[in-house]
Amino acid sequence: MKKRAGLFSAVLLGVAASVVVAAFASAGSAQNPQTSSATVPVDVDTASLRGPVQPIFYRHDVHVVDFEMDCRYCHFAAEVSANPGLPTMSTCMGCHLIAGAGNPEVEKLKTAVAERRPIEWVEVHQLGSFVRFPHHRHVNSDKGRFEGLDAAEKCMECHGPVDEMPQVYQFATLKMGWCLDCHIESEASRDCTVCHY
Amino acid sequence: MSDGMNRRRFLKVLGVAGGGTAALSGCSTDRVEKLVPYLVPPQDQVPGVATWYASTCGECEAGCGLHVRVREGRAVKVEGNPDHPVNRGKLCSRGQASLQGLYNPDRVRGPMARTADGWEAISWDDAIARVVSELGSVDPSRVWFLSGSETGSFGRMIDAWLAAAGANPRVVYEPFAYEALRHANRTIFGIDAIPHFDFANAHVVVSFGTDFLETWLSPVQHARDFADGHAFHEGRMGKFIHVEPRMSMTGMNADEWVAPIPGTEALIALAMTNAIVDGQLATVPSDISRVRGLIDAHTPDAVADRCGVDAETIRRLAREFAAEASLAVAGGVAAQHSQAHITAQAVNLLNYVAGNIGRTVRFDADQARGASRYQEVARLASAMGSGQVGVLFTHAANPVFASPAASGFTDAYQQVGFKVSFARFMDETAALSDLILPDHDPLEQWNDVEPRTGHHALQQPVMRPVFDTRQTGDVLIRVAQQMGGGMASVTQAATFKDHLQGEWRTLQQRLGDRRDFTAFWNASLQAGGVWADAPAQQVRLATGASSFTDVPVWNAATGENFTLIAFPSLAIHDGRGANRPWLQELPDPVSKITWGTWVEMHPETAAEHEIHDGDILEVTTPNGTVSAPAFLYPGVRPDTIAMPLGQGHTSFGRYAEGTGANVYSLLSGEIAGFGGLSFYATATVVKTRGHQMLATNAGRSRQMGRGIAQAVLLGELTGEVEHEEEHADHAAPVPEHIEEVLDAWQESQYEEMEQGDYAADNPRWAMAIDLSRCTGCSACVTACHSENNIPIVGPELMRRGREMSWIRIERYFEGGEHGEPLETRVLPMTCQQCTNAPCEPVCPVYAAYHTPDGLNGQIYNRCVGTRYCGNNCPYKVRYFNWFDFAKEGEPFHAFPEPLNWQLNPDITVRTKGVMEKCTFCVQRIRAKQDQAVLADRELEDGEIMTACQQTCPSHAIVFGDLNDPTSRVSQLSQEERGYHVLEGLNTRPAITYLKKVRNVAEA
Repeated sequence: MKKRAGLFSAVLLGVAASVVVAAFASAGSAQNPQTSSATVPVDVDTASLRGPVQPIFYRHDVHVVDFEMDCRYCHFAAEVSANPGLPTMSTCMGCHLIAGAGNPEVEKLKTAVAERRPIEWVEVHQLGSFVRFPHHRHVNSDKGRFEGLDAAEKCMECHGPVDEMPQVYQFATLKMGWCLDCHIESEASRDCTVCHY
Repeated sequence: MSDGMNRRRFLKVLGVAGGGTAALSGCSTDRVEKLVPYLVPPQDQVPGVATWYASTCGECEAGCGLHVRVREGRAVKVEGNPDHPVNRGKLCSRGQASLQGLYNPDRVRGPMARTADGWEAISWDDAIARVVSELGSVDPSRVWFLSGSETGSFGRMIDAWLAAAGANPRVVYEPFAYEALRHANRTIFGIDAIPHFDFANAHVVVSFGTDFLETWLSPVQHARDFADGHAFHEGRMGKFIHVEPRMSMTGMNADEWVAPIPGTEALIALAMTNAIVDGQLATVPSDISRVRGLIDAHTPDAVADRCGVDAETIRRLAREFAAEASLAVAGGVAAQHSQAHITAQAVNLLNYVAGNIGRTVRFDADQARGASRYQEVARLASAMGSGQVGVLFTHAANPVFASPAASGFTDAYQQVGFKVSFARFMDETAALSDLILPDHDPLEQWNDVEPRTGHHALQQPVMRPVFDTRQTGDVLIRVAQQMGGGMASVTQAATFKDHLQGEWRTLQQRLGDRRDFTAFWNASLQAGGVWADAPAQQVRLATGASSFTDVPVWNAATGENFTLIAFPSLAIHDGRGANRPWLQELPDPVSKITWGTWVEMHPETAAEHEIHDGDILEVTTPNGTVSAPAFLYPGVRPDTIAMPLGQGHTSFGRYAEGTGANVYSLLSGEIAGFGGLSFYATATVVKTRGHQMLATNAGRSRQMGRGIAQAVLLGELTGEVEHEEEHADHAAPVPEHIEEVLDAWQESQYEEMEQGDYAADNPRWAMAIDLSRCTGCSACVTACHSENNIPIVGPELMRRGREMSWIRIERYFEGGEHGEPLETRVLPMTCQQCTNAPCEPVCPVYAAYHTPDGLNGQIYNRCVGTRYCGNNCPYKVRYFNWFDFAKEGEPFHAFPEPLNWQLNPDITVRTKGVMEKCTFCVQRIRAKQDQAVLADRELEDGEIMTACQQTCPSHAIVFGDLNDPTSRVSQLSQEERGYHVLEGLNTRPAITYLKKVRNVAEA
């Protein structure tokens, strides 16, 4: 907790170098080498990993575990909007102005920003346009499976162990039966027009 | 990654194909959607949460305030600004359709210059250089500027710009410019102004042709005021008498329709004045002696034959008019024929003797001040025709189309040396120009308007410009800078926004506001403007009033001839709305016809000439001939025909071109005595062999005893007249054995109501629609299109009965035959959300089902398109997607880029083979419920508003929870006037209609 607060304020101040180095040093000691290490990724065959190949090999696992970043730091609207929000490129650059210099994946980001060209991420969780999943209602819920969970744990109920995903893949089936299992368990509405309109 | 076509994938592909989110190539499973982040977070934007910007509607001169709903940087809906003094949160159809001006696929996409073989796209720098070069090479006295109505800083800047250039003063063209009213107010009261007409406080309103609920001055405000002053409320209501040869939509709302010989309204107004003065029905001001001779000469008996209204009716009208707070208004096309200023003068006298001036007619604030008189345009045309115009700028005016062909404007326009157009569309005037410098849409620009004295309303860009357009104010500033010399002094500002802020600094000082300017500016932007009251004015008869001695009237047609009334369309107005598909598809409130022009003719006249609905008639006046199908309408005098203006464009865009016929070509170009145009003409009619099925969504015009739109006499409610129950024919008693079956079935229904979500403490969404307030204006129809991603289908499918509009205004005639007075009733018809819904049990896949909160849900992704539900619906409110309206390249594609930008992201875009319908804007219900749950509070009554209710100018629709006994909808549903449509079918609808109340002596 302490470390995370330190990291965040440093990032916000934009003078993060020393703290980030400290964070690197403290991370990744006993982890599975494929899932988390601040010094990777360089020569990873991303096509062999689960999940769609992204234009930049952004490591959710590294950011979540090693840097202990909260999901909501990047997906900033999850609590207030149906749409969780995608980090803007300047959010990335808040850290990567300094952090990760020399990492080829980070260089891709910097090049794109310099060219004012947005990264076109491949959507992993696709919902049909006939169904609504209001993130804010779920992240703020304490019913059923969500009881006693913190925000990140709630995210992972549907998105799976993102902290162990070098490349994000679709964890849940996202089929209606899967939705309903949880809605029944938590006594949420099962009316069709709650989600379909 | 899991591959293969599993069920969910399959459904997803089906559901999304052609949707707003992605373009799909065929039925592929390896669809890749991209998430594209912003580089820098945009201000005030949270993804998935709408941002609202206050602005001002630019569609007409009324200047209604807007709240524009913006999602992810795109405007997706406009609604009224609840704090705006003009419209108080409401909008008309044209206001709702302003989005289709912004996203119109036929906008001019960048500056263009005419070449020998068409148009060439050029750069803005080049375009401005060409203007500068032309201006430098022509004598300033040969430079003219023709604009539409501009009441704010932009108009003043053009004036200053022209003055600095030494050019001619700006000429303004609006076909409907209220010249007759101004003329009459100058003559009778010595005031060059249009007063405020207070419909809310008038118990008796007499309209001499004024379409004040349609296009006249400020229809949204009038609708609210009229409903407040006229609708039944706590045992009393107002009385409205409409005097016009044609019953307009406004006239349809009248308790009594008086149809005089065309153009003789002045005689009736004078005779009523006579009756009031003569009978001492009111305290008549002493200075009436100035016109005493005129009044004395026009007794009801003396005018009865000339106007075709019997003397006793006139006397009765006068008595009713003088007995209570009253208001007479002259306007509409009845105040735009060659003698119309006389009508307006006579109506001024009528208001004066009844003591209405200063009470219901207040000259404190002037309105509609932007337009000049048509005679100025005629002067410009004659200068052009004689080759005296070197450079002509045209902005927001289309006189080549919207002026009588007989005026010769089109030919004269082509004599101009260099024609610069700032048009947003390739309209008829722009098409004949040499250079087009497309302006921003009002939703993309900075501007202000002053619709009436003291009301300063701001327009701000709600999103980035859709195309490579530029605000004309900025273009003029650039030109002035490059011209240098005296022109550089037009403004110190570098941009029009800076210039506007400079004007608002001055305004702030004038208002005595001591805040820091930024605070004042931001507060004004948020509120939509600043509102100050104009000082009240004492008004007496002017000395010039004594010059009012003669009463010439319109020379009404006789014999085989007809008087032709050319009226502005409610939706398309003078033609400017013709390329907005929502407005084209909006059924006219009177004829219910879409996509075209028609000729209204009385059924008796038609019978004489063996004319039927849809027969093509050739209408000929001394100025031209136009062909259009006949519409038999009992609301027009037998010696009169009427045609709507605004159609028959030859250039304007895909929806306007080739639709209908141009009625302007029938009008005379002569300037009337008051300096305006005349919209009356003498015409002959020939029936051709042609026939065209009318593109309408209306069924029968008569109720045939079905009791759909019910009415009650005021006397019946107050107990003065014995109540007569209006029985629908089918409401016969149910035989006992059937009753038993029904009861058992209903029991079984309620057993299911104990299960799952149904057992919970749910709301019961319901609606109450007060037919005493509904005017039939159809704003709800366009609002519904906008909110619910409803495609437009076009005239061909309309004729095949495949319209998609979820809400329609049904219009029925009562009487009007065999000498009975005509009464018209309107009823908004949308899904009734029946408790015993006939649609639900017939759906084989449970796509139509009953939700726990009382809606008839329609689950698009379940629907397989059997259409059983549509067959079984007695209200005809289910609509089937016969085509992929949202898919590019498919027939009847309804959303060509960028019209699809408007699609509401909160509701599914439906695909081919799916049944769709009204669900009380379930997306709005769910959004408010989400907000309430997250804020951990209860929903308040009235917090959820359906789109139709939100925009209804007359507050006829109330929505809420029927299970809450304190809600407004619960209370209204229990009113004595409440009834359900087709009650005998035992569908138990959630919509309760409150009967229309008629303030007439007997039925």
